[in-house]
Amino acid sequence: MTWITKSTAAPDSTTIVRGLTSKSRVPVGSPVYNLIVETLYDEAAALDERRIDDWIAMLSKELVYQAPIRITRTGKTRDMDVMRTMFHFDENYDSILMRTGRLQKSAWAEDPPSRCRRFITNVRVGKCESPNEYEVVSYLFLERSRGDNPENESITAERRDIWRDLEGSYQLIRREIIVDQAVLGISNFAIFL
Amino acid sequence: MLQKSSLVLRDGTSLDELVMRDKNEVSLRVMTDKELYHLEMERIFAKTWLLLGHESEIPLAGDFIVRDMAEDNVIIARDREGNVNVSLNVCPHRGMRVCLGEAGNKPIHQCIYHGWAFKPNGDFIGAPVEREKMHGNDVDKKTLGLKKARVHLYGGLIFATWDIEGPSFDEYLGDIKYYMDQLFCRTDSGLELLGPPQRFVLPCNWKVPGEQSGSDGFHTLTLHRSLMEGGVMGGTAESIYDQAPGMYGVDVSCEQGHSLRCLEAEKTFKMFADISFEGKSTEERLNLLTPPGITKEMIPELFKNLSADQVEQLATIPPQVGGMFPNILIAFIFAPRTDGGSSGALSLHTYVPKGPDKVEFVNFIFAEKDAPEQMKRDMLQNAIWNTGTSGVIEQDDADTWPVIMRNARGAVSKDMTLKYKALHGHERPEGWKGEGLLYPGFTKDDTQWNWWLAYYNLMSEV
Repeated sequence: MTWITKSTAAPDSTTIVRGLTSKSRVPVGSPVYNLIVETLYDEAAALDERRIDDWIAMLSKELVYQAPIRITRTGKTRDMDVMRTMFHFDENYDSILMRTGRLQKSAWAEDPPSRCRRFITNVRVGKCESPNEYEVVSYLFLERSRGDNPENESITAERRDIWRDLEGSYQLIRREIIVDQAVLGISNFAIFL
Repeated sequence: MLQKSSLVLRDGTSLDELVMRDKNEVSLRVMTDKELYHLEMERIFAKTWLLLGHESEIPLAGDFIVRDMAEDNVIIARDREGNVNVSLNVCPHRGMRVCLGEAGNKPIHQCIYHGWAFKPNGDFIGAPVEREKMHGNDVDKKTLGLKKARVHLYGGLIFATWDIEGPSFDEYLGDIKYYMDQLFCRTDSGLELLGPPQRFVLPCNWKVPGEQSGSDGFHTLTLHRSLMEGGVMGGTAESIYDQAPGMYGVDVSCEQGHSLRCLEAEKTFKMFADISFEGKSTEERLNLLTPPGITKEMIPELFKNLSADQVEQLATIPPQVGGMFPNILIAFIFAPRTDGGSSGALSLHTYVPKGPDKVEFVNFIFAEKDAPEQMKRDMLQNAIWNTGTSGVIEQDDADTWPVIMRNARGAVSKDMTLKYKALHGHERPEGWKGEGLLYPGFTKDDTQWNWWLAYYNLMSEV
């Protein structure tokens, strides 16, 4: 999921990823599934309530956090619409710290802060090949209210995560955010997805 | 006495009352007025040269991308002869979009509505059931191609205009070309786009980001205060206004409304402050600190592609940020990284009008084609971290512009003015080699005012 292709503006070099890649499903309602869903809810709450330190504590130092752009395709290339050569986010742990550190200072894009609600649904979980790691695919619906503007900004996306079990708590090591809009209707990503 | 513009809106307001050349003020009403917007589309966006993309997006015959010239959607396609063509994406039969995808490769573009088919160069091929002559009984097929724009490639950048007989691209660029060449025409292989552009829509008029692209320097110290607080630029949070890092240099501009801010790296960024350039030759300076995006291996290419004077400027006081009228922002910046690297970030934006109160922000991210793959990787990150959808610099711009727009709607607020009264006036610095309008010292409002004069001039032409 990381940047392995050579840089290119030609769109047909992209890869298609669909569904769970794991062959070993973690069933809905099983203890591990429940703990992971709880983790996703806790993460959404930490971000919505702007408890940034609590969110950072959920992130691995090996984190890869990317949001590839989408484009509109037709015909035989219609499914090659996730451009893993260009991103809205292309982050590692240090760059996340750079971004969250800025939020404590003069980051006018979030001062005054937005009021956000992150709705996480359609959670599917599979076991990864390495023990204690889980592939977690979820849907995100985010509503963002800014200032006295009565019109919210919103974004929908699929998130393709890998979470590591650290004996009772889970840590995010990878997240690929696949937004649905080719042209975003949100004025910036000063918030995390 | 300034000659008055012939442009008068239906309510009797003249362009001179909106762009006040005697006072260097612009009425906030220009951001919301629908009549003015429609005139801008005809007099500016249907006439002047517009940036659409880069050659590296369509390397092969049949490759195409779809972009917008304001609200006119166009197909940009490479034909079998290798030429880049720009054609209106409107079927001349019944007005449907001929090409619905954003990018790909097609030897023939066939409209999904009635099946009319076109070549990558826009020529009409035919309509289904040829014997029944859907295209008309006595109509010459040569007249049925897609409407073609005039194309110019500059450093691989694809520009187009609907003004077929109008000014050449070089006339459009004017004296700023000498400086732009230092960014776009400096290496043997040239630039490459690292991926399709980021795109997002902001609820504001195109001129809100547009006038800022006329090299607004002052806003950096306050809106982008977090750059100084982060310690990347010289100075600290407490000394931002005293030290004013990145403010002193030479602003260059021209009557066509383009501009660039040329800045000495060692006076802008903390990490370069201790490099001693004293008595060093141009080549030695380039080896001590390569311009953004350039590797040491490319230094001989600079001397080959640019004049000695241009290379000297690139080595000492390179153009960093600026814009091309009407809607291009240029950010070819050092962008120091937290890991100590400074491979730079090369971004261009277009601010594409989408109605009086909407603008699409398109962010193109580049590297030199011959840069090592790891450097391209770093430069992609540098640009994403600083510019566009999530960039920590431009998050704050994108948050500010829509608020100005909401302000501009008030019955009282609309008569407030944007002010450009901090002027230096043209002055040639000693030993300066390039032409154009020159503003040395602390960055002022001159270049942005030139942007508005270019706007005024085009809007006054019929």
